Amino acid sequence: MPTTFFGWIAFLLEKYWLLFLSGAINTLLIAVVGTVCGFIIGLMVAIVRTITLRRGASRVKRFGLQAARGFLSAYIEIFRGTPMIVQAMVVYYGASQYLGINIPALTAAFLVVSVNTGAYMAEIVRGGILSIDKGQTEAAIAVGMSHWQRMTTVILPQAIRNILPSVANEFVVNIKDSSVLNVISVTEVFFQSKSAAGTYFRYFEVFFITAVIYFILTFTFTRLLRLLEKKLSGASSYTVYGSQSSYAAEIEVKKE
Amino acid sequence: MSEILNIQGLYKNFGDNQVITGIDLSIDKGQVVCVIGPSGSGKSTLLRCVNLLEMPDGGSILFHGQDILGIPPSSLHAKIGMVFQQFNLFNNLTALNNCVAGQMKVLKRSKADSVERAMFFLERVGMLPYRDALPAQLSGGQKQRVAIARALCMDPEVLLFDEPTSALDPEMVDEVLSVIRTLKDGGLTMVIVTHEMAFARDAADRVVFMDAGRVVEDGDPKALFTAPKNPRTQAFLARTLRG
Ligand SMILES: Nc1ncnc2c1ncn2[C@@H]1O[C@H](COP(=O)(O)OP(=O)(O)O)[C@@H](O)[C@H]1O
Ligand SMILES: [Mg+2]
Repeated sequence: MPTTFFGWIAFLLEKYWLLFLSGAINTLLIAVVGTVCGFIIGLMVAIVRTITLRRGASRVKRFGLQAARGFLSAYIEIFRGTPMIVQAMVVYYGASQYLGINIPALTAAFLVVSVNTGAYMAEIVRGGILSIDKGQTEAAIAVGMSHWQRMTTVILPQAIRNILPSVANEFVVNIKDSSVLNVISVTEVFFQSKSAAGTYFRYFEVFFITAVIYFILTFTFTRLLRLLEKKLSGASSYTVYGSQSSYAAEIEVKKE
Repeated sequence: MSEILNIQGLYKNFGDNQVITGIDLSIDKGQVVCVIGPSGSGKSTLLRCVNLLEMPDGGSILFHGQDILGIPPSSLHAKIGMVFQQFNLFNNLTALNNCVAGQMKVLKRSKADSVERAMFFLERVGMLPYRDALPAQLSGGQKQRVAIARALCMDPEVLLFDEPTSALDPEMVDEVLSVIRTLKDGGLTMVIVTHEMAFARDAADRVVFMDAGRVVEDGDPKALFTAPKNPRTQAFLARTLRG
């Protein structure tokens, strides 16, 4: 048996590299699927929540929209107001005990992270929509576009560009927060680490490795996403980092 | 001449603020009507009611004799176009695509037809060389000309202009006004809110003076500018023309 810290690290890496690797891959997979699906959910929710009816609209439409709004607000409040670890338990065990469905753990993970991220994305997208001046919406109405047409051709392409930093931030958050899914035995990197640590009771060394893996993932992807943002916003702007913890706080300054 | 727009007893308020207080106005096909009046008198609100960017609180607006509330929004908006003070171009689209988007989405024209028509109107407003430019790369006058082309691409029967030159630097005002003049020669019905008195006098078939949510005076431009009947019109013109 190894006797030093580095000895243990080398030993554990050698013995469990496959476990760590498969865990890291699952973690990334969950983060990617959760962020992409969550983003799509967020877009749809925000599109519905920004519908405004003309005063002449029928009762049925009015009621339908109110009901949809109520449902979506409840969804956002509930999923933002409860921890994802609890949501995972409720969905996973709820499905098996009351619906008789044994969802595979990874599928449950995709579901929970997507729906959870969707609740945050809905607000982010709504902010993006509100950041586009009303004049463009009015011009789109004035050429006869419907709400959906206005959103997809004019507003969202601009809004998405504006919120890209926040969307990227959600992805990084998901890399880290998917660790809570170990409670429903999803084989992401945290769960795999627990398995690896248990055999030799080397919790410190194993989780040191785990921390390094998480850091490599988040660091690499923040850099990559930032590069992508730069590409999209062109050379005409530069960025001031407005907060040490959140990329959402980045301030983009346009060059004159 | 046949009547295209008929506004009857129009009322509009924002909360306690009575902005339009009983306007009757009839506009014939092919007419160019300039609306003048002090700021805050409700000129923009009047135009915005006509294409339902604002919902009227009372009265009715008839388009070819039909209440506009009964016309499906997309066809109403295609037939009654609007040009804004702040241009309001779609910032994510090139000049050409600003003109193409509405045709394809709303009128369901083919891409080829839409592009052809967009090129035709961009040429007419002198913006064809800039068809691939994004709005951010254009000057105010150029943006407004693209905005006019965008509206024309929808084949409107009536075009509403809300102070189309007020946000422009002085040297760009004429390029936009001369484009509007060419539209008059083409027989398009236009309602133009403007502070350009010389333009109103020369180009309009009719001038409407509004004050405090009402039409105060309505008539032939030469008569209205040289011999205004109402004291409020006289005062407004004295103030404006002095400068
Ligand atoms: N969306 C709105 N909400 C509240 N008040 C408004 C709104 N639009 C216009 N107003 C008010 O209506 C009045 C007339 O405005 P407007 O029609 O823009 O006048 P004009 O175009 O003649 O300058 C103003 O007092 C303005 O403050
Ligand atoms: Mg105005």
